[in-house]
Amino acid sequence: MEKTEFIALVIPFKDKLYRLAKRILISKDEAEDAVQEVFMKLWNGKQNIENYNNPEAFAITMTKNYCLDRLKSKQASNLKIVHSNYQTSENIEKKIEANDGVEMVFKIMETLPEQQRIVLQLRDVEQFEFSEIAKMLDSNETAIRVALSRARKTVRDAMIKNYNYGIG
Amino acid sequence: MESAKIKQILEAYFEGGTTLAEEKLLENYFNNEKISGDLLQYQPLFAGLKAAKAEQSTRAFNLPETSKQKTIKTWWYGVAAMLVVAFGVGTFFFSQPQYSQEEKEALAAFEKSKQAMLLLSENLNKGTQQLTHVSQFEKTKDRIFE
Repeated sequence: MEKTEFIALVIPFKDKLYRLAKRILISKDEAEDAVQEVFMKLWNGKQNIENYNNPEAFAITMTKNYCLDRLKSKQASNLKIVHSNYQTSENIEKKIEANDGVEMVFKIMETLPEQQRIVLQLRDVEQFEFSEIAKMLDSNETAIRVALSRARKTVRDAMIKNYNYGIG
Repeated sequence: MESAKIKQILEAYFEGGTTLAEEKLLENYFNNEKISGDLLQYQPLFAGLKAAKAEQSTRAFNLPETSKQKTIKTWWYGVAAMLVVAFGVGTFFFSQPQYSQEEKEALAAFEKSKQAMLLLSENLNKGTQQLTHVSQFEKTKDRIFE
């Protein structure tokens, strides 16, 4: 496979991988590194990629595994992922953070267990079907629905608590 | 859209029982339409999810040069190593003197005659050693018959 061909294949889901990595790792830099790393792995194994009928799902699974490993090794070495996402000059970011409510939702999402964060990201942000998510996470649809329901409820409860506090 | 319908979908949403189409409906409702009072508290959630979709990677990724080049390089290393080994083995063999069949026979004959000569000289030396006794006898005889 040629380089240009490979890039054309992976570019369409680059942002999805980045968003998933950022959801797990929180840090923007760590997320960018993770995407680079996953693309390197895909490139090195590009003979195989043509055999996978869904390269996107394959890449998402790889990203999830890589990020979880990364978290584990960070925790093992007792290092916290430091993120400095807040001094960004990006317009999108500013717009997001200008909205208190939205920022709050992001903060609440960070407190979810990893598995729930991943499911919420894949369903409510990337809008994959349950069957696709089950395949990506090597799980079953029921488990995905349960995790998703828990994640949505946690966000809702924390949000409403904050919302009422803000009003009261 | 009437809020009763939205509430119904919302309930299913939190139980994980909505389809993608229904979720799209919720997203559109909470991000575009006028939201009635008691639903307003859910608005940040859907605004947040929408914002999460807009995030983009800003760093370009780079790939290493094609692995084809790498294999060519290692191939050349292999060839170079083989040449060195072949040269070493070759010089070792060619530095050994090469004899023809006739020369080898001559050498063998030379070795044999050399051994024969050595044997001869050894025995000869044994003979001369015995002669020292004779000279000793001469000395003693001279002393007596002085």
